[in-house]
Amino acid sequence: MATIETPEIKTKGKSNLDSGWHVVVHNDPVNLMNYVTLIFQRVFGFNRSRAEKHMMEVHKKGRSIVWTGDREKAELYVQQLHSHLLLATLEKAPQP
Amino acid sequence: MMVTVKILENGTVSFEGVGQQLFELLHQIKGIVECGDPDVESRLYPDPSAKAEDEEMREDWKSLVQPELQSTFQSARDTVAADLRRATIHPDGSRSFGIPPKHIDQWLGALNQARLALCELHHFTEMEMSHKIEHPENDRDFILLQMNVYALIQEWLISLID
Repeated sequence: MATIETPEIKTKGKSNLDSGWHVVVHNDPVNLMNYVTLIFQRVFGFNRSRAEKHMMEVHKKGRSIVWTGDREKAELYVQQLHSHLLLATLEKAPQP
Repeated sequence: MMVTVKILENGTVSFEGVGQQLFELLHQIKGIVECGDPDVESRLYPDPSAKAEDEEMREDWKSLVQPELQSTFQSARDTVAADLRRATIHPDGSRSFGIPPKHIDQWLGALNQARLALCELHHFTEMEMSHKIEHPENDRDFILLQMNVYALIQEWLISLID
């Protein structure tokens, strides 16, 4: 008689699910500084001061993490940034 | 010839006294971007991930997101071309045309596409782009001048909506 083994169910640990994704904007020499600031305000709803802080970080350090959260939303933000021709990527946030 | 920029009561940005050469530079926006150069394509449609191992994400992006971006970019270029087609030619050879308020975003996008494309096509470095243009009769300097003209119009438009 055949027996059916109880399948072993493996679940991902909570930390794997929750670590989140970074939206990173990279520097490029063409996009105007006030254009980048405007796009940050529009896409993320940042006030001018926060948008300028991220823009300056991109300009001086070459990149800035502008948002962190769930993957679906992060992808949407990257798509919006690409539609404004900013160089943006998704990066898995490190485990806490 | 001096270009006059005015904001009309309905919010249209009106350009008057646009010489033939400047008008031709604007007319070139569509062709510059639609040249089919692989470097230009790579810049307009960058990878969503900097990691080489994210091949699946990259493939999904190409099939799902890129067509939407292509349509957005094409629409911006077509809007600019249509606004320029409506330009009035005056007896002195100058042109006047208007950018309706709802087209400002498309102009910003199309000008940006053209600047990025020119940078890729001519492989300009950051240092070259920041240097003073002294010889516009030189081909490379003329392209830089063209990029600066586009940037100046972008600056005007940003100042209007900011």
